[in-house]
Amino acid sequence: MTGMDEGVARPGGALRVRNPQDAGAGLFLLAVAAFALWKGADLPLGTLRSMGAGMLPTSLAVLVGAFGLALIGFSLVQDGPGLDRWRLRGPVFILGSVVVFALLIRTVGLAVAGPVSMLVSCFATDEVRWKEAIIFSLGMTAFCILLFKVMLSLPIPVLTLSLPIPLRF
Amino acid sequence: MDLFSNLALGFSTVLKLVPVNVPVLGLMPLPVNILLCFVGCLIGTLIGVLPGVGPIATIAILLPITFGLDPTGALIMLAGIYYGAQYGGSTTAILVNIPGEATSVVTTLDGHQMAKQGRAGVALGIAAIGSFFAGCVATVVIAALGLPLTKLALLFGPAEYFSLMVMGLVFAVVLARGSVMKALAMIVLGLLLSTVGQDLESGQERLTLGLQDLSDGIDFAVLAMGLFGFAEILRNLESPETRDVVKGAIGRLLPSRQDFRESFWPVVRGTGLGAILGILPGNGAVLGPFASYTLEKKIAKEPRRFGRGAIEGVAGPESANNAGAQTAFIPLLTLGIPPNAVMALMVGAMTIHGIIPGPQVMTKNPTLFWGMVVSMWVGNLMLLVINLPLVGLWVKLLKVPYRLMFPAILIFCCIGIYSINNNPADVLFTAFFGLVGYVLIKFSFEPAPLLLGFVLGKLMEEKLRQALILSRGSFSTFVERPVSAGLLVVAAIMLVLALLPSIQKGREEVFTE
Amino acid sequence: MKSLLIAAAALLATAVPGLAQDYPTKPITLIVPFAAGGPTDVVARIVGEHMSRTLGQQIVVENVAGAGGTTGTTRTAQAAPDGYTIMMGHMGTHGAAPALYPNLKYDPTKDFEPIGMAAGTPILIVARKDLPPKDLKEFVAYAKQQNDKLNEAHAGIGSVSHSTCVMLNVQLGIKPTAVPYKGTGPALNDLVAGQVDFMCDQIVNLVEQIKAGSIKAYAVATPDRSPALPDVPTTKEAGLPEYQVSAWNALFAPKATPDSITAKLNAALVKALTDENTKKRLLDLGGVLPDEKGRTREALKTFVASEVARWTPVLKSAGVTAQ
Repeated sequence: MTGMDEGVARPGGALRVRNPQDAGAGLFLLAVAAFALWKGADLPLGTLRSMGAGMLPTSLAVLVGAFGLALIGFSLVQDGPGLDRWRLRGPVFILGSVVVFALLIRTVGLAVAGPVSMLVSCFATDEVRWKEAIIFSLGMTAFCILLFKVMLSLPIPVLTLSLPIPLRF
Repeated sequence: MDLFSNLALGFSTVLKLVPVNVPVLGLMPLPVNILLCFVGCLIGTLIGVLPGVGPIATIAILLPITFGLDPTGALIMLAGIYYGAQYGGSTTAILVNIPGEATSVVTTLDGHQMAKQGRAGVALGIAAIGSFFAGCVATVVIAALGLPLTKLALLFGPAEYFSLMVMGLVFAVVLARGSVMKALAMIVLGLLLSTVGQDLESGQERLTLGLQDLSDGIDFAVLAMGLFGFAEILRNLESPETRDVVKGAIGRLLPSRQDFRESFWPVVRGTGLGAILGILPGNGAVLGPFASYTLEKKIAKEPRRFGRGAIEGVAGPESANNAGAQTAFIPLLTLGIPPNAVMALMVGAMTIHGIIPGPQVMTKNPTLFWGMVVSMWVGNLMLLVINLPLVGLWVKLLKVPYRLMFPAILIFCCIGIYSINNNPADVLFTAFFGLVGYVLIKFSFEPAPLLLGFVLGKLMEEKLRQALILSRGSFSTFVERPVSAGLLVVAAIMLVLALLPSIQKGREEVFTE
Repeated sequence: MKSLLIAAAALLATAVPGLAQDYPTKPITLIVPFAAGGPTDVVARIVGEHMSRTLGQQIVVENVAGAGGTTGTTRTAQAAPDGYTIMMGHMGTHGAAPALYPNLKYDPTKDFEPIGMAAGTPILIVARKDLPPKDLKEFVAYAKQQNDKLNEAHAGIGSVSHSTCVMLNVQLGIKPTAVPYKGTGPALNDLVAGQVDFMCDQIVNLVEQIKAGSIKAYAVATPDRSPALPDVPTTKEAGLPEYQVSAWNALFAPKATPDSITAKLNAALVKALTDENTKKRLLDLGGVLPDEKGRTREALKTFVASEVARWTPVLKSAGVTAQ
């Protein structure tokens, strides 16, 4: 993706990407559409008059793909912004911390899942001050237990030990 | 005029003093129903502010606590939680750009922009005041017109409903700030996501990738929290400049005279739209804020201000939201048919207390009916009293350094998502949609049209297929039925109006920012 | 510091495994595999509240909705068999599900220890108020003559209203056009509005509409008339004796839960069902309570087996599956 990071394209040239952002966006839509068509290929379409399970997913996926193609098409004739820089650090640690929470909440409970996932998320930024982060995450977890478990009495496991990880797929 | 004697009955129910055995003080008369209403509104505000924790989970949990109360008091409290949550939901939307429910998606557009411009207090204030006005008007509507309006709910069959949703899709086009084509693509993507899950008619699994947790489709909160909440954190971590604006200037706490002047008519129009849509079965209230936003943007002198912190874009939709939340009680109280999931839970609450909702509640339990109606008005007053002083507190929260703020938002979101179905898989899906949201930001797609497409898609497919089954596959049913035909005509006119300015301005402006 | 204290307290409360004779020593999770506020949830909460008092520990209802109740049922089947996770099973999850979900991850007859029957709610056959037939006999004739011209509403594949209507259609040999809704509320709305012709559903959802005359009831599918609707004849009286269905709700524990624990839970359940106040609450909903014989664990075991055996061929023959 970063290879196309050349900013606003110059005029002239028969077929060059003049709007890399929209071209990327179009490719993304095409990928989504292709994935949906592949996964929905087994579903019966039915007829317009009596629709099958696959009618709407398939036609909507085709529409998404059409928008993708159109975006790519326009990106060849109109100038536009270049691609943004993609960074891995944020997505990995922020979304990673959410995944950690999901894996820990039913296995060890909120008392552990809370601080651990919050500390994982702190790796996403340089601004972190670790001493502060540790104290804050413990305090926040205690506050959450008080708020969600004690005050709102949601059925959230606070501290348990249950293995294996009870994810049902 | 019966109305006054009925309202008097309602007030006497709400204000009734009941001797309560208070520890230490002994037996003393207390206005129990008022206190319950207050407690309900307070809890509602709290859960509305917490992302993910919705009124459904909370009402379900508090049900057993209400066992010991008399039914009127219990329902007054539970209703307070419901509309309190609608109030509180706008707070998170404005402060941290997370819409807790479908109805506050629109509020993020201009509300959060206002917060970024240091006008968080004004946005919160106008949301509270607009909601209060809407709540008062809607209460009067329920009291005076509840019974005749019930017919409206029965007038809307699947065909009419589908046409209404088509109209809703046109709103989505207007929501877009930037490229219209990208907005359309997002709507279609939202519609596509809404088809995930079991097929309504045959029960076949569609696009679920074999995951059992997807067989009921993607949960709205999961999608919204991922696309808005998590993606917003990622965006803020990458560009500290934009988020520092929020911390920088905090202007006045409450709306100025000028703000009131700009908001007055949007509030009135929003209230009207929200009140009407709220009555419709199958959660028509969802459309209210979108309709109001579309209307305000269309009639504004400078539509460009919308999406960039226009106060009308907060005042109108927030009023519509609250008016709809209130009038959604009409089908429940007069027909006994719950129009949405929260109302279905209210039915459960009523049955646990031995009152089975139906067309006769009004005549058989007048104290309950009118007590609830009056309590709604009292509750709206309380919400104003609870929320206005809180504005200062919320705005101060924005001063918390972001390095501490984002882990806190994350943990609240995670707990909230988990609590929807007590299912860790939902939390994983949210992380996935956070990633999708990040990709969308990078390609400058907007998530709001996607969410609207998603919300409408679920209803639209259901109603389309029901209508076609009932008409035995004939599409003419949509134009033969007068209400449906009328709605389609309005949708067509709106679409032309929405696209005309863009077409006139030429392609250059249509497809670029 | 504060969090440490809370953590320590929580550890003490949860980590000490209670011996079976001390059971219960901590709150019990009662999984309801449906959304809060529905008929099963209401029964679970009413019964659970009284059982909490008997057992001296809170019974916490946890709604794990999804996939026609099978999500929550699967979770119960996989939970630790220590008596601290039990569930409110139901005609759908423990009767119809094996026929509807070929990839079901549990077996209702093998993966659970039955605790006892809680309450059933009778099924009614109802129609829009201006449908020509006046009683069930006329309706049967009318339905046979109209066949697919007749519109039947149901609340989605796997719902009670769907399964029970399939049973009716199979017994009558009719094939009305099925209009699927998402939930009873919207289906009922369209029945009241006259968009659809008839449906079958639990009495608690319908009783007030029938009393108000906005829909009409043909029959109740129980051996006796319901006290909530004394004017509605039973299917036996109305000439369709073979149509006997009820949406029953019963408590189950995961397989291998110790016998002493299920016995204790059964005793608490029976005590709840004999309590006047709890009984009245359930009866007010139009519920049918099991008689003394029907309250035992053994009775429930036999009953579940018979329900699975009964629903499987009916649903299979109608060609409905949820996957």
